Amino acid sequence: MSTNRTNAASWLRGTTIRKGTTTPATRSHTPQTQTSSSIVFSGGVKDGSGRTSEYFSMDDQCPVCKSDRYLNPKLRLLVSSCYHKMCESCIDRLYTLGPAPCPVCGKTLKKMTFIPQTFEDLVVEKEVAIRRKLAKEFNKRREDFPDLRSYDDYLQEVEDITFNLINEIDIPETQARIAAYRKENAAFIELNQQREEAYVQALKEQEEAERRERQLRAEEIRRAEEEERDAREGERRALIDNLENSDADAARLVAQARAEALKRAAARTAAAHQAVFAQQQETMRLRAAQSAVVVPDQPHVPLLDGYYAYEDLCGLRSSYFDPASDAVRRDKEGIMRAGGYRVEEAWERALRYAVAGLDITPPLGEVSMPLPITSRVDADVAMASV
Amino acid sequence: MDAVEKANAERQRRWVKDQKVGEGTYAVVYRGRELATGRKIAIKKIKVGQFKDGLDMSAVREVKYLRELQHPNIIELLDVFSSKTNLNLVLEFLDTDLEMIIKDRSLVFLPADIKSWMAMTFRGLEFCHRNFILHRDLKPNNLLIASDGQLKIADFGLARDAADPGYKMTCQVITRWYRPPELLFGCRYYSTAVDIWSVGCIFAELMLRIPYLPGESDMDQLKTIFRALGTPTDEEWPGHTKLPDYVSVGQFPRTPLRDLFTAASGDTLNLLSKCIIFEPRKRISARDALYHPYFFALPYPTHPSKLPKTAAQTAAASRPPDEVDGNVDPGGGAPAGVGKAAPPKKLKRKLSGHDLSRNIARKLDFTAS
Repeated sequence: MSTNRTNAASWLRGTTIRKGTTTPATRSHTPQTQTSSSIVFSGGVKDGSGRTSEYFSMDDQCPVCKSDRYLNPKLRLLVSSCYHKMCESCIDRLYTLGPAPCPVCGKTLKKMTFIPQTFEDLVVEKEVAIRRKLAKEFNKRREDFPDLRSYDDYLQEVEDITFNLINEIDIPETQARIAAYRKENAAFIELNQQREEAYVQALKEQEEAERRERQLRAEEIRRAEEEERDAREGERRALIDNLENSDADAARLVAQARAEALKRAAARTAAAHQAVFAQQQETMRLRAAQSAVVVPDQPHVPLLDGYYAYEDLCGLRSSYFDPASDAVRRDKEGIMRAGGYRVEEAWERALRYAVAGLDITPPLGEVSMPLPITSRVDADVAMASV
Repeated sequence: MDAVEKANAERQRRWVKDQKVGEGTYAVVYRGRELATGRKIAIKKIKVGQFKDGLDMSAVREVKYLRELQHPNIIELLDVFSSKTNLNLVLEFLDTDLEMIIKDRSLVFLPADIKSWMAMTFRGLEFCHRNFILHRDLKPNNLLIASDGQLKIADFGLARDAADPGYKMTCQVITRWYRPPELLFGCRYYSTAVDIWSVGCIFAELMLRIPYLPGESDMDQLKTIFRALGTPTDEEWPGHTKLPDYVSVGQFPRTPLRDLFTAASGDTLNLLSKCIIFEPRKRISARDALYHPYFFALPYPTHPSKLPKTAAQTAAASRPPDEVDGNVDPGGGAPAGVGKAAPPKKLKRKLSGHDLSRNIARKLDFTAS
């Protein structure tokens, strides 16, 4: 990077380079710029808030009169419409009497077309300016196109035009293209500009609302704190009065007052928690409102069927005569116990399998199958595995 | 043509196969629809005759248990039919799985969303356990999400019913990261509590958005667990030192869950801690979990239709069927869980063996054609 090299070199020379740091001194905003000219030069590339951050370096030197910051501390370089730099005094000298050729490239320039410089590299300055200008008119969005393909074609064309303008290829033809586009899409351009404005407006309003909200919240907190302080003060005074007037045991009075204060503080914290919870609920509601179909959340229902609603007709006994499980039951400390195996589960399973559905009356007439699968599946499996 | 064949042909005619959406070693999954209603389905064609033992064990298990279980939170087996030498399972079509939702960084989970998913998981699991069936392969990947947001437990390829006393069960089940310590210690007699541990890990994963206990090997898994939860003492888990594969992997102190789950409420951590208790008998049951205060506390669980959806899921609703080409990888919005068919030696599968099994699948396919 050449910039780095110059910076390093000037550091070695002992000059101060302020470019690249973010202190206000490096990039002065237009109004504060020291100027020797009677004309206020404006324009150039503006940032989001509409200000122009002007590029400024200790190494500035006017390419026309070779004057630099050492000779003229108020040196201010401006950029012509052909993107050549010169200082204000040169501009005054050359263009006060009307349009004159640029000393570098010979293009006819007017005094009013000079703009402050934002970027160090003038190629960037030019590209940004051109893109900004084009974007005002070429402002179609994805939604304006029926498919992605045509949107891509449009972007490609915009890019072509931009490239031509930046590199000064076929300028008249490119200008004609722009004019044709402008004529064709006048309505679209207008509409999209309005949309853009509306969006910016909405953003501003939202910001404003948020700011108000913050202010309100801060006020709320301050009020709560004040109340708390007053309350504490009141308690203390009450305690002192009490101690003065009553002849009860002082220690007991103090303890009582302290307990009451504790209770009140707890109530306050609870109220604060309540507020936080309410706010959370609000956020949730907002999110719910954003989705198209509003389905209210339901309280939790553990089980959706009444499987356990019926009373069992038989109960599980605490123990059974079951030689098969003797080994498991005897194994109090060992492997079967540690794995979590329960004989009771096996017993319950056996019992349920034995009695399940005993009280259901058999269906009369035609048998309707609850499942599309019948026992024939087994036949399939058996056949397939042969 | 005898009666059985005729009935089978009749069944087969009810369903239309559209395109292939995934392939595993023992099954190919197609997307399809019901001819009469146009309802979307998935057909899982199990390759028979490529293994000399006949039908693969997981296919038998899947048919056996899915036939019995009908619940809103368990994948529905609509039909079974055979074509030539293949067995075809007709399953409900589901858009995505919980793993994809967890991995989608653009989604934000509210505590209520997690509560909703957990409630649905526990409901499905309670139904399995109520019928004495252990799922034995619970992981986010196997919890599929329907287009209406309902969570469904799928892949019963490793399920079995609770064993009779004294019968051994294999301990080489459950994907390692979700495997409880008793199985890692080689215990052959276990209970429904193994599934609860997996659900606990999924619960934690939903909050962390990364796997909670990602061990690199079985040994490392134990270490990872103990590092997170502390090494159990004999009082905490009586008898665990006597388990067949017991090894001491070192003493780790217990760190409070609060340290890791800083934003979780007290109820949340209480339920989580009850799901990952070392002693299987003390681990909460699915039914008790559904009655845990966590589910009743505010905020209410999110309504399934409002749960976060992946972009693929939202797009799938409007996508015409012919836009999906033949070989969609399971990560691309295809019905991943259904599509993810188990390799034959699934029991001994390592997590890194994914590519290997895919290669095998291709080779087998080649010989078959």
